[in-house]
Amino acid sequence: MKVMSRQAYVIPVLLLLAAGAGGALYVGSRPAPTVQLSLRFHPFVGEEVLQLEQGRYANPGGEGMFKVRDIQFFISNIRLVAENDVFRETDSYHLARFDSEDGMYVIGLENVTRDSYKHIEFGIGVDPAANGTFASVGDLDPNGRMAWSWDVGYKFVLFEGALELGDRRIPLVYHVGFDENYMQVSIPLAAALFERQEATLDLRVDLLQMFKGAQTVDMSALSNVKFDRGDARILARNYHRMVSLCPAPGRTCDEEG
Amino acid sequence: MRVLAILAAVSAAMAFAFYSGVFGWRAGSPTPLHGFEAPFVFGRFQLPADNPLTQEAVELGRRLFYDPRLSGDNTVSCSTCHLQRLAFTDGKPTAIGVSGKTLAFNSMSLANLMWGPQRFFWNGRASTLEEQALVPIQHPDEMAQDLDDLVDELGEDETYRLLFDAAYGGLSPTSIAAALATFERTLVSANSRYDQFLRGEVSLTEQEELGRKLFMAHPDTKASLRGANCIDCHSQFLTSGFNTRFDGFVNNGLDPEAELPAGLEEVTGKPEHRGLFKVPTLRNIALTAPYMHDGRFGTLKEVLDHYNEGIRVSSTLSPLILEASNLDNASDDHVSLNLTAEETAAVIAFLHTLTDMDFVTDERFSNPFPTE
Repeated sequence: MKVMSRQAYVIPVLLLLAAGAGGALYVGSRPAPTVQLSLRFHPFVGEEVLQLEQGRYANPGGEGMFKVRDIQFFISNIRLVAENDVFRETDSYHLARFDSEDGMYVIGLENVTRDSYKHIEFGIGVDPAANGTFASVGDLDPNGRMAWSWDVGYKFVLFEGALELGDRRIPLVYHVGFDENYMQVSIPLAAALFERQEATLDLRVDLLQMFKGAQTVDMSALSNVKFDRGDARILARNYHRMVSLCPAPGRTCDEEG
Repeated sequence: MRVLAILAAVSAAMAFAFYSGVFGWRAGSPTPLHGFEAPFVFGRFQLPADNPLTQEAVELGRRLFYDPRLSGDNTVSCSTCHLQRLAFTDGKPTAIGVSGKTLAFNSMSLANLMWGPQRFFWNGRASTLEEQALVPIQHPDEMAQDLDDLVDELGEDETYRLLFDAAYGGLSPTSIAAALATFERTLVSANSRYDQFLRGEVSLTEQEELGRKLFMAHPDTKASLRGANCIDCHSQFLTSGFNTRFDGFVNNGLDPEAELPAGLEEVTGKPEHRGLFKVPTLRNIALTAPYMHDGRFGTLKEVLDHYNEGIRVSSTLSPLILEASNLDNASDDHVSLNLTAEETAAVIAFLHTLTDMDFVTDERFSNPFPTE
């Protein structure tokens, strides 16, 4: 009679144990339900939908009408905050701009863990750590239009256009990007937003708030902001409040307006 | 501190190789191009999924680039207007092809084409290098070659048949364009004194350093910052235009409203793009005179004089040019940077640090025919 060695018993037992552990691991790591979240940013100037180049808008602090040639700004470090959890997007640096066909800027967040998020948070601008490097992360590009130079960092917000004042056409150049101009934004959310697999969050960007928030700006008196910290602070405190929820969930800001 | 961090990272990243194991090659496929390098500070780039960099394609593209059989009368090759010793320009205000007519545009330098605006020609009418490559070949005044005739002609040459089979599995207009584009993508200029400075290998002279600082600054009299305003259009490391959408196209004040040429408007149909042209790389700029899309300026001094005192105002002129002045009391009527003569000379001195003699003598980019 053939006698099985001790090793012959041990191996099947180990295999069984391994299989059991693997099964337990599988059950334990089954992926949590996720949501594909689209953040849609709709640009406005006050109550009017932004029309690049074509639109004319009243100088908020003085005379004349202004037009917008280009508006770009960074949206960074997007977080969704729940009671006991936070979803953080990795490499979260997005350059918002509104010159696409549909005029809005869209960020897609993939695989957002389903949860009852209370707030969405992000920064307008680039956080000091990222602003001090030249790595190409997200939309950060040291050879891009938003790069000032390596020892200055990035423009956080770029607004270029012109103020038409009688026969005069005054160039408007607002470039804001000192570290202290990085502004954290927190917007409350409806928990129902995350009940489906795909969700859309419509956000309103009111560019007029850059010039008419905490401090109103007369564009003829302050037609450019670049490296003066005091001037940059005025615009940063203003643009801090330029993003808000569209009033009616599930509808675009345009429909509501 | 930020500068030191950059220098350290640049030095460490120079040997960064982009192509190892990216494409998952099968046995019998063309050979991935090994050892292809570019500075970390150039940033990301994308290759077309259907036209990766391979050794066979580069060899084929180089041969085509220098072959006059690509023109209808076999007298003009790509290299006729793109001479390596001039950083792949021709020294003429505007190009002259097989017809002998003076063409509308200056021959652009071919360097670091995978970075910067990914639209080609001065007005951006080609959206890929592959698309661009076939245009001058067929243009009646440039190379005047029928593509079917070209395929027949090259097909009679056994060397070409073998090279096309190895690189693309056959000879066609598409594979001709793909090979030319591939060779052009390998034309990387990254060993100028500016590159060596970025890598921490050399110092710039006092004058060059002043020029570099001016290059990198938009003037702001309120903050007592003097600047030559170059970086508003030419990126800090590449010195090219920006690669996002049409951000790399600018009206830089060459012509008044009534004389504005179409430029980018010809491509987009948008009136706000009238008079906008592609911002070129300034790599090797001291070798690529004359300057601008129509070659109107013969020297770098003339270019600086233009930005300093020759700007023509029009409705699509960049506000960054219109607004930029180093004088506090600049008038509305006269647009000027108001740089001093010393500052102008310093900027020109810095521009000379962008000359890369390795690039213009690199045998890999040279004419393959004389050595055969």
